[in-house]
Amino acid sequence: MITDARIPAIQVENLTVSYGPRPALLDVSVSIEPGTLVGVIGPNGSGKSTLIKAILGFVKRDFGTVKIFGEPVEEARGRLAYVPQRGAVDWDYPVTVEEVAMMGRYGRIPWWSSPSAEDRRIVGESLDIVRMGDFRKRQIGQLSGGQQQRVFMARALAQGADILLLDEPFAGVDAATERALLEVLRQARSAGRTLVVVHHDLATAAETFDRLILLKQRMYGYGPPEAVMHEDLLTAVYEGRLRIFGKLAKEAKP
Amino acid sequence: MIASIFSPLSETFIQKALLGGSLVAIVCGVVGCLVVVRRMAFLGDALSHAMIAGVGAGYLFMKLVFGKEAHAPAMLLGSLIAAGITVGMIAFVSRVSRLKEDTVIGIMYCGVFAAGVVLVSVFRDHIHIDIVHFIMGDVLGVTDTDLWVAGTVGAAVLTVLTLFFRAFQFSSFDPVAARAAGIPVALVDITLTLCVSLVVVSAVSMVGVILVVGLLITPAATAYLLCDRLDRMMGLAALFGVTSVAGGLALAMALDSAGGGAIMCFCTAQFLAVLALAPRYGLLAGWRRRRNMIPQQLFEDILGSVLRGKPPVAAEVVASHVHLHRGRLVRAIATMKSDGLLIEAPDGLSLTEEGFAQARRLQRAHRLWETYLARVGVPQQEIHAKADVLEHVHEEEAVDYIDDLLGHPERDPHGADIPEDFVHVEGGAPVPASFLREGRRATVVSAPPATGLAAGQRIAMAPRRDEGRTWVAKREDGTEALLDHATADAVMVQPDAESGIRPAVNPGAVKR
Repeated sequence: MITDARIPAIQVENLTVSYGPRPALLDVSVSIEPGTLVGVIGPNGSGKSTLIKAILGFVKRDFGTVKIFGEPVEEARGRLAYVPQRGAVDWDYPVTVEEVAMMGRYGRIPWWSSPSAEDRRIVGESLDIVRMGDFRKRQIGQLSGGQQQRVFMARALAQGADILLLDEPFAGVDAATERALLEVLRQARSAGRTLVVVHHDLATAAETFDRLILLKQRMYGYGPPEAVMHEDLLTAVYEGRLRIFGKLAKEAKP
Repeated sequence: MIASIFSPLSETFIQKALLGGSLVAIVCGVVGCLVVVRRMAFLGDALSHAMIAGVGAGYLFMKLVFGKEAHAPAMLLGSLIAAGITVGMIAFVSRVSRLKEDTVIGIMYCGVFAAGVVLVSVFRDHIHIDIVHFIMGDVLGVTDTDLWVAGTVGAAVLTVLTLFFRAFQFSSFDPVAARAAGIPVALVDITLTLCVSLVVVSAVSMVGVILVVGLLITPAATAYLLCDRLDRMMGLAALFGVTSVAGGLALAMALDSAGGGAIMCFCTAQFLAVLALAPRYGLLAGWRRRRNMIPQQLFEDILGSVLRGKPPVAAEVVASHVHLHRGRLVRAIATMKSDGLLIEAPDGLSLTEEGFAQARRLQRAHRLWETYLARVGVPQQEIHAKADVLEHVHEEEAVDYIDDLLGHPERDPHGADIPEDFVHVEGGAPVPASFLREGRRATVVSAPPATGLAAGQRIAMAPRRDEGRTWVAKREDGTEALLDHATADAVMVQPDAESGIRPAVNPGAVKR
């Protein structure tokens, strides 16, 4: 594992992605250092999820490059883990909590063999970290929203990836789960992992993340929260749709 | 009698039909599970229709180039090529146009199917394909070639699915994460489409174009209603496929009907039966679940009326308190008995320890709400009715909040005892001294110096003074520490177990 601090964990250069004639991302460049907890903020439809999927190499790029620890993303398979948006998951899929967590290990299990004792141990530990150990045999649709989110977090942990990409992990979960999940994210960061989290709630963004990416098709800002939660920037991106931003931005300033 | 039932089994064509049908049904069932969870049933339909062009082209090619009639391998290969072209066109058009995939599938498969029909009819002098046979299938006319094709395809597809089960599962469940974890999702998708094409091609000659989709998805959907794991769903779908073929053939014999139609009729009836009876996801189970559900409010009213009525309480007394249809009340009481909250004796209902604790929590909520309503000036005659509604707001946090707001009152406006906060006091963790009622003994854990109490000191609570606004803690040497609400909140104590008094003594409480 190369975790040399000088090589950025994620380097995106001039990334442009479009769906048909509509541009989803325009000329986005960002360089994320290893071991940071990064929040991606921006209004609905601003390309937050697309940025995550482009970093994963899952959407077709019009042009631009994505490098993971200096390598093209296509060659970085397995070094990235993904936690999907709740709405993107088929909760009726016949799969149990334990199987979902085990999926994190699938990339490492050779196709001719079964999960090893080591894989099972890691999956068990990951489920215990998110406190879902008692629900192993449950079908995922029979869990509460917060529990579902924790199962997917366990899968990302079980994968042992250096980079975790999370799409709105705090949407639709209760306050207690949000705190617990955040604690898990911070532990992962302390362990040297890099986390990129799509986030909806501007009110909590400043206190939650080390760095923020402010996005609306283009990159409007990347840096520490006090620099990004700037009134002019927020007004430009959100077009004054929410007046309380003025107040928020001031509070975020030290 | 028995011999007459099994006598058709000695007929070769029945044996072949049973063998071929089962082979096809097993593979269809297993692959169908992935088709169902991936929601690509329509694509299966498209593939089966597209085949006719491939079969026709394969036939024509062998006939014109090599002069061979009805060359099976060439027709099979032709079908696969036609399926590949259809899938490729669908993928291409969905990507470059703004049309949604289902529309594109509809366009492409009708186009390819129509091209096939035109091809076969234009070259009708060269191609001897019976279109009706193609559309309806003929399970009773299964040839040895059909059996070989079905067997080979089945073995190949099942091997691939077994070896790469995890990749298929992960890619169909969460393609983005699967790709991130290093699974070649695009390759897995192509392989799945190829498997579906192969299975469809091998099944068409038996059940026909129209019914092949049914064989693909109905057994899988039936299994889906019974399983919470993909591997088990696949096993069960294969089983349902085989029972459909066997049952359908028996039906066809009995009614002297078309084999394919009978198989699908049986398969659909089987699905409907499971839909009605499935233990978790079935209609009957859902209906029973709703029927046995007790509204929270009714549940709480029953507990309250048993507690108030000094147990044991006759069911009639409870019925007079909760205005409800007798049958529903009886069911509610039965459910609460099986949940271990109530006990029914010949002389009436009483509470278990668990039921007693729940009832006391509700009583506490009710009486605190009454005190609150009286404090905010609600007229005396309205208090009880309003509290009856509000007592159903009894989350610990909400009740503790009003309790604190009201200064931990001991009696409600009618003079009745408000149960103490036994959830916390008997919870085992330290609590503020303000929670303690008269008679409770405790050990001080921490206290501000100004209170005159110190950690480790033993105290017993004496009656409160100043209309309940001053707490009196007696030390072991008989001296008293007087605490107001704020300081009583600041003193943390560890209450003794079982030292307290229980204001509402419940003679009916029974240990389970």
